[in-house]
Amino acid sequence: MLDTLLSAVVFGVVLASIIAIAAMGFTIQFGLTNVLNLAYGGVMTIGGYAAYLAVAHGISAWYGLVLGAVAGSVVMLAVGHGLLRRFATRGTKVFEMMMVTLGLGLVIDYSLQAISRNNISQFTVLQSAPLHLGPVTVTPTQVIVTAIGLAIFLGLEALLRMTRIGKALRAMAADPSLARACGIKTRRIVIFTWLLSGALCGLAGVVYIINSQSIGYSTGELFLSLVIAAAILGGAGSPAGAVLAALLMGIVTQVVSAYGNASYSTAAGFGILVVVLLSRPSAVLTKGANEELALS
Amino acid sequence: MKAVQLKAAALVGAVALAVSACGSTNSGTSTNGGGGSSGKYPLTVAGVIAITGASDFEGQNQAGGILPAIYAINKAGGVLGHKLVYKGVDTRADPADALPAVQQMLATTSHLVMVAGPGSNSAPTIVPVLNAARIPMTAVAGESAFDQTTDKYFWRLFPPDAANGVAMALWAKQKGFTRVATVFGTDTGSQGDKPGVIAGLQALHIQVVFNINLTPDQPTYLSSVHRLMAAHPQVVMTESDAATAGTFFGELKQLGGLVPIIGTEATFTAPWITAVRGALGSSFQRTFTSLITSPSATTPAVTAYEQAVTADKSQVPKPWQSYLNNPFSITYWDGMVVMALAMVAAHSVVPSVFDNYVTQVSNPGPGKVKVYTYAQGVRELAAGKHIQYFGASGLIDFNRYHNSFGNEEAVASAASGSQPVALGTITAKQIEAVPVTGVP
Repeated sequence: MLDTLLSAVVFGVVLASIIAIAAMGFTIQFGLTNVLNLAYGGVMTIGGYAAYLAVAHGISAWYGLVLGAVAGSVVMLAVGHGLLRRFATRGTKVFEMMMVTLGLGLVIDYSLQAISRNNISQFTVLQSAPLHLGPVTVTPTQVIVTAIGLAIFLGLEALLRMTRIGKALRAMAADPSLARACGIKTRRIVIFTWLLSGALCGLAGVVYIINSQSIGYSTGELFLSLVIAAAILGGAGSPAGAVLAALLMGIVTQVVSAYGNASYSTAAGFGILVVVLLSRPSAVLTKGANEELALS
Repeated sequence: MKAVQLKAAALVGAVALAVSACGSTNSGTSTNGGGGSSGKYPLTVAGVIAITGASDFEGQNQAGGILPAIYAINKAGGVLGHKLVYKGVDTRADPADALPAVQQMLATTSHLVMVAGPGSNSAPTIVPVLNAARIPMTAVAGESAFDQTTDKYFWRLFPPDAANGVAMALWAKQKGFTRVATVFGTDTGSQGDKPGVIAGLQALHIQVVFNINLTPDQPTYLSSVHRLMAAHPQVVMTESDAATAGTFFGELKQLGGLVPIIGTEATFTAPWITAVRGALGSSFQRTFTSLITSPSATTPAVTAYEQAVTADKSQVPKPWQSYLNNPFSITYWDGMVVMALAMVAAHSVVPSVFDNYVTQVSNPGPGKVKVYTYAQGVRELAAGKHIQYFGASGLIDFNRYHNSFGNEEAVASAASGSQPVALGTITAKQIEAVPVTGVP
């Protein structure tokens, strides 16, 4: 009984690592720009495909991780700075912008569906014999995925707290007008945010397919609801909050799978979101529809 | 000015009348039964199936069988002098999309003689509509609700889900398995097939030691995999979408819990095999078995099918070779040939007329000449013979509920690609002998 619980918690941490990488990227970008970017899942898939193509051409999976991050950055910059900023300058509001990103996400999805001919492609990398840690059996892949998640969290916290650009980013997220008045070059910060968010998004796509061992056109889109839930639960703009929320959702999901009906596990994960928001509505109300977009 | 307006109104009215006359499905064919007294207009065969979306492989499977059938029939002179044309109607495997698409099809399609499909997800919604419209259909839907249907225009050459499930259970018993785990996706198709598997196992007194439903497309199923391993099954019986299966069985292998896998017929598709083979690597070949509808032997009907697919390869979705052994495509081929022969036997292309001739040209009977191709059937009918079309899928013998299914074959997948490698046969008689209960 205890073994099962222990295994479920460990598996929950693995799942949380995948959710957290994506949720950290999402929450930083949402916290700063106020854009609830529903094209995020599509960009994740693009990052995954970049790594898939790299590995298919004989490039190491480790470089595939880097390429996925680069692809995510480039696409996210094109989306955010190239396209969404134009909508913002024309007076597009928060809700309308969300609809724009929804449409954009569908464009990406259906384009990938056409290109991939709706095939599921295999991505079997970094496989080796399982590790037996007491009563828990895990694979080296899962250890790697968790380590990547942890490294990204620590790196991101260091960036935000110990570097000038990180401090500027936090300042702008708190109050863009005041940040601008203090001489912070907000346009550069926004560009940096799109790049950073895109890199994490692309990286999350690669980590996801390393764990699931396959990629299809809708890979990121199917994962998006978990990512948004973790970002909202953790509080917009808070990577640490996103990680905690991901841990909560991941562990609840896996414990429900271990002890109850697995088909209710995802529902239970989202149930946590509802319960927390009932008791702590400020988690979402910190970013509301009345806020202005901050894209330049 | 007024005269011009009147003329315009009259013209619009005339055009509207003409359009409505052409657009009415039944009026176009019913008045021209018997071969068409007003010219040899083309007859429309509508493929009501998922053409786009996540289940677009259903449309590909259909195209892989129905287009070669239409090619072969037209090459043989058509049906009573009429050429056949195919019209795809996209259901996206969703009843909400399927219903308006079919209603539009019925309202706008000229000389619609039959429907190929519908598939599992949309069949419960679409079959009553087509039946009310008196359009014969060759459904590829396994729902047990159709096992004893009284819908006159419903024809199923495909085994009901329970038959496939019973065959899986019989195969497991033959292999000496006594402890089974069932792993099914929560999608409609998988859940539709699951009761048949469970009922088959129960009827044969095989213990289900673990039973799980998987929400599709999750990033990990580790806890479920862990629970399955703890139950120590000897074999897993399964159906889910390709991505879910790839993730689940990949994790099962990684954690060292891989056991033999017996899949439903729906698992024997190129996407599923590609995904799971990729996850299992070299273990896939010796681990995976699927039970599929299959002919017991190579017949001239199989040869005719293969020749037509090859000849029409530029028209079917790529890769055309995948349809040579695709049980779904073969079923659509047989359905089309049976309907065309029924039209010839009835001397009519009116659906409500030739629908009565379907069993006359397909079921075995005393004095009937066995035919294997459409052209051969037409020749024998012209010679005044009674015929029995023996299909590429084997014997066709519709019961009073318009269901016909033959033997099931246990197959592995070839080392590369998705060609089946025969392992053994479960006969229709064996399946019917299993007293299955509790299948909805």
